[in-house]
Amino acid sequence: MSYLEYTVKHVPSGARKILFLNWPLALLLASVAGIGFLMLYSVAGGTFSTWAEPQAKRFAVGFLLMILVAMVPIWFWRSMAGVAYGVSVLLLLAVEFFGSVGMGAQRWIDLGFMRLQPSELMKITLVMALAAYYDALPQKRTSRPLWVILPLILIFLPTALVLRQPDLGTAILLLTAGGGLMFVAGVHWAYFAAVVTAAVGLVTAVFQSRGTPWQLLKDYQYRRIDTFLDPSQDPLGAGYHITQSKIALGSGGWTGRGFMQGTQSRLNFLPEKHTDFIFTTLAEEFGFVGGFTLLALYALIILFCVTSALMNRDRFSNLLILGIALNFFLFFAVNMSMVMGLAPVVGVPLPLVSYGGSAMLVLMLAFGLVQSAHVHRPR
Amino acid sequence: MIRTPLRPLPRILEAREKGENPDAIERENIRIRHEQMRDQSRLRAEGRLLVLGVFFLCAFVVVGARMSMLASSEPVEPRAAAPGSVISNARADIVDRHGRILATNLDTHALYAQPPHMVEPERAADGLVQIFPDLDRDRLLRDFTGKRKFLWVKKKISPEQMQAVHELGEPGLMFGPREMRLYPNGKLAAHILGGASFGKEGVGAAEVIGIAGVEKYFDDYLRDPANGNAPLELSIDLTVQAAAERVLYGGMRIMNAKGATSILMDVETGEVISAVSLPDFDPNDRPRPILTGDQGDSPLFNRFVQGVYELGSVYKIFAAAQAIDLGLVSPSTIFDTNEPLKVGGHRIGEFHNKRYGDLSVTDIIVKSSNRGTGRLALMIGPTRQKALMERLGLLHETPFEIVEAATGKPLYPTRWTDVSAVTISYGHGISTSPMHLAAAYSAIANGGRMVKPTVVKQSGPQEGTRVMSANAALQAQRMLRAVVTSGTASMAEVAGYQVAGKTGTADKPKPRGGYYEDKVIATFASMFPANDPQYVLIVTLDEPVETSGDKPRRTAGWTAVPVAAEMIRRVAPLLGLRPQADPLALNEVVLTSGQ
Repeated sequence: MSYLEYTVKHVPSGARKILFLNWPLALLLASVAGIGFLMLYSVAGGTFSTWAEPQAKRFAVGFLLMILVAMVPIWFWRSMAGVAYGVSVLLLLAVEFFGSVGMGAQRWIDLGFMRLQPSELMKITLVMALAAYYDALPQKRTSRPLWVILPLILIFLPTALVLRQPDLGTAILLLTAGGGLMFVAGVHWAYFAAVVTAAVGLVTAVFQSRGTPWQLLKDYQYRRIDTFLDPSQDPLGAGYHITQSKIALGSGGWTGRGFMQGTQSRLNFLPEKHTDFIFTTLAEEFGFVGGFTLLALYALIILFCVTSALMNRDRFSNLLILGIALNFFLFFAVNMSMVMGLAPVVGVPLPLVSYGGSAMLVLMLAFGLVQSAHVHRPR
Repeated sequence: MIRTPLRPLPRILEAREKGENPDAIERENIRIRHEQMRDQSRLRAEGRLLVLGVFFLCAFVVVGARMSMLASSEPVEPRAAAPGSVISNARADIVDRHGRILATNLDTHALYAQPPHMVEPERAADGLVQIFPDLDRDRLLRDFTGKRKFLWVKKKISPEQMQAVHELGEPGLMFGPREMRLYPNGKLAAHILGGASFGKEGVGAAEVIGIAGVEKYFDDYLRDPANGNAPLELSIDLTVQAAAERVLYGGMRIMNAKGATSILMDVETGEVISAVSLPDFDPNDRPRPILTGDQGDSPLFNRFVQGVYELGSVYKIFAAAQAIDLGLVSPSTIFDTNEPLKVGGHRIGEFHNKRYGDLSVTDIIVKSSNRGTGRLALMIGPTRQKALMERLGLLHETPFEIVEAATGKPLYPTRWTDVSAVTISYGHGISTSPMHLAAAYSAIANGGRMVKPTVVKQSGPQEGTRVMSANAALQAQRMLRAVVTSGTASMAEVAGYQVAGKTGTADKPKPRGGYYEDKVIATFASMFPANDPQYVLIVTLDEPVETSGDKPRRTAGWTAVPVAAEMIRRVAPLLGLRPQADPLALNEVVLTSGQ
């Protein structure tokens, strides 16, 4: 049971809600997106219209969407959690059947005006569903096996569908975010120990299956793992991304080569330079200072989210904010690790900076939920 | 867990006494208990959050540390994926034995266009067509205005052309440095040098790779930066090569031959001083391989290593030398060459069915008797004969350092029978290149030690394996000298330079079996100076006809020998050989002492 119903009268209403938004968080989001525009401008060789302009338009739409979502009381969103989750799973199924194929994988549904990537949406709706679930679940049942299995099903169903597309990166993100949420919700330690053991077993199985007819991953995924372990094996082939981005990061040094001076943008060394690997451009042009600034901005966003969650006595809001923060964190942590050669290249964009429509919109939607929870917190 | 009761009796009773509603106590207690529970779960949640926070922090630290590690790493210039950036255009020069340039590099430029950067494509196309009349204006304009982002306009342009293109002032036209292989002597030593062409091409540089001859054989060496661009020193002597080419070309024309080849080799070091194959080509502008007809007629065909022919009677000396070496005969052992020789059902006849009568071994060579040589071969036997051929290197491709040498594989019978032994003894039934013959003759000239023919300058004599005794080699040299003084090669007498050698005239085989009546390969294998041979010279003419007499003459004595003699006359002084004064005839000596 939550407090919300009893404390409604303390919550601001009408247009005044805007004043109660978590404005520092919104500003942080805008500044990260601003860095993104700068980078896209530079990567396009100094043209605004190629990538930066559509990205800016999308951010504007996303920002409005965030405020719109924030205006709606959080208890409405809680009641919508199940529906949202169901719709996302259906969309994932739809991708399976009607999705358009891009880059060797079925990931999009063409809506005409934009290409929707349901797996992006899924990351948020999964968090909503789990948060609502644990809000409704009495605390003492949290760790009972039956009540642990249910959220596991909620997590594994979309993960399996995403894996089939195939999109390993998103699948791992879904699993980790879902598991993290269960952890924060207070599920017993023993379960996590079991999961870690199982994961180790799975990894072993995946590697053992290599080359056999029942091979679990695609060849390109194995190659990515191989390249991760030793990118120098194939510096012009599979390891090319990592090698080039490391070179770029190294050549940026501490202060960078200066805006628009990066070789990545002038010479087409890196494919995906405007999407997954945009961090290399930042690191090359602004060096360690630039890269660390972005990292610090991300850290501040996480910090504001966690503080907001701690201030919030409503369990649904609490879990929702933490879940979204965890998702956001995983996004940029995996991307940065990937670019810096700490993790396999799994195709995770840099949140708010990488060029891309649905990721940006879904992320702003998620922060809309965070804002709504913040505005409508019990006081 | 001990719980406080929700309705503690003493308080209820106390409340009742005061007339208050005891339910308030229960409500109050429920509220307290809820708060306690919440605090508990909050504590737990905060513990979990702490763990999560530590995890976040760790991740931030790791990413930040990695970032600073990369930032402080040695800055490496980003390199393009295009192999262009790693193209090395280094290629060492090739020089002759005296350090004169045979092949070098020339800096030129390549012209390319980047249409997206073009300002006035139409004017650029017009200008380019004026500078390079072979370009097609419409096509250029199509390329410049189309979707292409890059195109080569010209791969090699001169400085003047480059300046003219500069003056067009078109920013979309760019130049890339490009080294070009240059053979300053043109056709000279073309078959040895081979040629080079561009390998991997990039905007900044283009690889120059060898495609034939020495250039290809030593490609790795020439391109290896570890050699410090030191030139490759060949054994070729540019002057001698030039003289040999002139003489051979003239000889080929006079003898109406369709091709000719000559090899001049130092018998001690194995160095090939000159090697000529005609017709030849200009390695600066290598002709395309011919697609139809006989590859042997292509100027690219390298006769001295690829021209695998039956070379005829030049082989006879091997049989005579071996018979002496084995102690079977002495040079003066007499054979009756009129007696018919029948081996394995074949009758062996003489050239033009001549009858020579009784001949010594020396005379068998001098007169070039097939039957006499055949008898020697039968005495030696096929096994020992084959062993000598093997030691002389006549059964394998030569180790000569040009790529074409590997394709000059000798042809010989798989079953080496008595008949084979007899025919091979006079040079039929075995096909080798002139280079094989030069190496084998060098062994005789070198006192019986084998030398490997080489195109690389040597620092000293080769200590090859002994293939025959020094005495056998000496006797063979004397017989070869006799061939010149009183035999088939009388035209080889060169004033001041005693020449020894053996002629060979072999009918050319028809492609479908049998031999042509009127097409021969005429060879003169010689060594000079005869008393202490320093050089071996092989001259081979392909289909020569000497027409100065009433009847066309094709034998080597009339064709290859005079050409070889002229060549020795010309190159011997260039080689630094001093002419020997002819010994005075005894009858001109006036004895002043005595009686």
